[in-house]
Amino acid sequence: MAAAGSGAGGGGRSFSFKVVLLGEGCVGKTSLVLRYCENKFNDKHITTLQASFLTKKLNIGGKRVNLAIWDTAGQERFHALGPIYYRDSNGAILVYDITDEDSFQKVKNWVKELRKMLGNEICLCIVGNKIDLEKERHVSVQEAETYAESVGAKHYHTSAKQNKGIEELFLDLCKRMIETAQVDERARGNGSSQSGTGRRGVQIIDDEPQAQSSGGCCSSG
Amino acid sequence: MSLKSERRGIHVDQSELLCKKGCGYYGNPAWQGFCSKCWREEYHKARQKQIQDDWELAERLQREEEEAYASSQSTQGAQSLTFSKFEEKKSNEKTRKVTTVKKFFSASSRTGAKKEIHEAKAPSPSINRQVSIETDRASKEFIEFLKTCHKSGQEIYKQCKMFLEAMHHKRELSIEEQSECAQDFYQNVAEKLQTRSKVSPEKVEKAMDQIEKYIMTRLYKYVFCPETTDDEKKDLVVQKRIRALHWVTPQMLCVPVNEEIPEVSDMVVKAITDIIEMDSKRVPRDKLACITQCSKHIFNAIKITKNEPASADDFLPTLIYIVLKGNPPRLQSNIQYITRFCNPSRLMTGEDGYYFTNLCCAVAFIEKLDAQSLNLSQEDFDRYMSGQTSPKKQESENWSSDVCLGVKQMYKNLDLLSQLNERQERIVSEAKKLEKDLIDWTDGITKEVQDIVEKYPLEIKPKNQPLAAIDSENVENDKLPPPLQPQVYAG
Repeated sequence: MAAAGSGAGGGGRSFSFKVVLLGEGCVGKTSLVLRYCENKFNDKHITTLQASFLTKKLNIGGKRVNLAIWDTAGQERFHALGPIYYRDSNGAILVYDITDEDSFQKVKNWVKELRKMLGNEICLCIVGNKIDLEKERHVSVQEAETYAESVGAKHYHTSAKQNKGIEELFLDLCKRMIETAQVDERARGNGSSQSGTGRRGVQIIDDEPQAQSSGGCCSSG
Repeated sequence: MSLKSERRGIHVDQSELLCKKGCGYYGNPAWQGFCSKCWREEYHKARQKQIQDDWELAERLQREEEEAYASSQSTQGAQSLTFSKFEEKKSNEKTRKVTTVKKFFSASSRTGAKKEIHEAKAPSPSINRQVSIETDRASKEFIEFLKTCHKSGQEIYKQCKMFLEAMHHKRELSIEEQSECAQDFYQNVAEKLQTRSKVSPEKVEKAMDQIEKYIMTRLYKYVFCPETTDDEKKDLVVQKRIRALHWVTPQMLCVPVNEEIPEVSDMVVKAITDIIEMDSKRVPRDKLACITQCSKHIFNAIKITKNEPASADDFLPTLIYIVLKGNPPRLQSNIQYITRFCNPSRLMTGEDGYYFTNLCCAVAFIEKLDAQSLNLSQEDFDRYMSGQTSPKKQESENWSSDVCLGVKQMYKNLDLLSQLNERQERIVSEAKKLEKDLIDWTDGITKEVQDIVEKYPLEIKPKNQPLAAIDSENVENDKLPPPLQPQVYAG
């Protein structure tokens, strides 16, 4: 489901990516995106009306990237709605709070679900937020990183409060998504996509997407 | 007496009743004052004129098309040549039947009865007529827009006409196949515009919006909630479900919106209006715009209540609450229609798409909602669902649960007023008491002072006596030299 709209005239390509933000309530999803898109944290003067849908334009090596970041409701009662949110997405950022073991468990559940529904086409980022509270850490770095590697995801440490690691996280994710989109395009044949680019609604079929080039995006860095 | 009552009756001049054309028959206001015969003639004339106009327009476009074709003939391949010829025949055919008239004939009458269409009796003004006015307006706007696109405009027009023609024949297909056709069409046109005509992405987007508007205004009637699907049944199910859940309170959903703030409740009402209005729009994009508008109002309500930007954690519960409160008509049909026929690029990554997805989530949540998702015990949930009791009654005994917001507010205000009254009375009585206390206090002091004065009466002794006594003690006073006298120095 690479949503790579080929750009207008000229050599520069442009990509549109959809990224979903998953994570339990209170892990700091909202702060993370607000910091990234508006560079604000807990600011009294935030004029933004909402932080649930934000966009960001990037230029990575001459390639224009339009990033649409979709926040999702993290409460347990809305868990079952996940697939409606993350269908057609190119990337997922799974956020947990390093001081909260449960939130990491939640991330594991989502990873399982995402891989089952979307296969390897989706770039996963596992993010341990609130590293400014290192003293109260309850999720060990070792454990988190090993887990991320085992599921073909990348692990990042961030602090929305201190603005640490966020820029890198998104930049890295964009690069990986571009790569995946290009691999996907080549696989489809010569890039002149004549089908499927904009088709909405992923059919939920478990066996189909796995056939993609093995771990194209995630293992390469 | 009788004269008076006669006067009071509606007086209509004989001439007003007659046909406006003066044929001697009676006219009818429903026929704009004509008699039935004259009306039919007039109406037919107007129709003919419109048909003529449309014909001319189509002819002009055709001419322009041909010119463009002629100029580009050398560059275009053989394939497009045959293509264009085919198109020519198609549009020739079409110019004779104008869309509004065409709609009244089924597919079967199309092939054989081309000529009849002209003589076809003018359709009586009805709901259908209303629809066609809207359709006409949409096509006029579309043509206006295409004029701004110069060369590619004609190409777009051609494609749309062809697509509509094709869709006409596909009416028997399942809705999924029709949707597939529409999606393919969107994609092809967008790609052609981008690659062949080298139009900038922003302009392509604009053009796609116009195209969607044009074709969907025409197709709406056939593809919205079609009989071949069970959309309508699902609509009813959702509607009934929402009605059964009327007792759900914002607290149960943890909605971060405080409706007691007048501004917030204003926003809530606006959001509900928007989501209900969605059903009245015909173009998918317009429907999406309603959802977006609704979401913006929700964000405002959250922002006023919480004073921070709304996250999805806040937004989704509120949207669910709004849907529950509004019970928008034909919810499932609208969602299905948008999914099937909206331009996919908008639905996938755009902001509208996000809000639409949230609406889908809200509906899915409502469908599956159970005791656990409202943090209720199963017994409570069952009791509320069966209508035996209502949670609102327990929370606010003062007013019943089903009174409207205004009355509730009034009760609240009355309550407040009586409280204020009580407080004022208390203040008055306290003030009186204070006054009394003050008076008592002064009295008390006065009395005390008097007592003391009485107890220790002031004895004033003669003034010079003690002075003299002091002097008398000064025995040696005489020995002192006489006091100095002021002396005057001369010179």
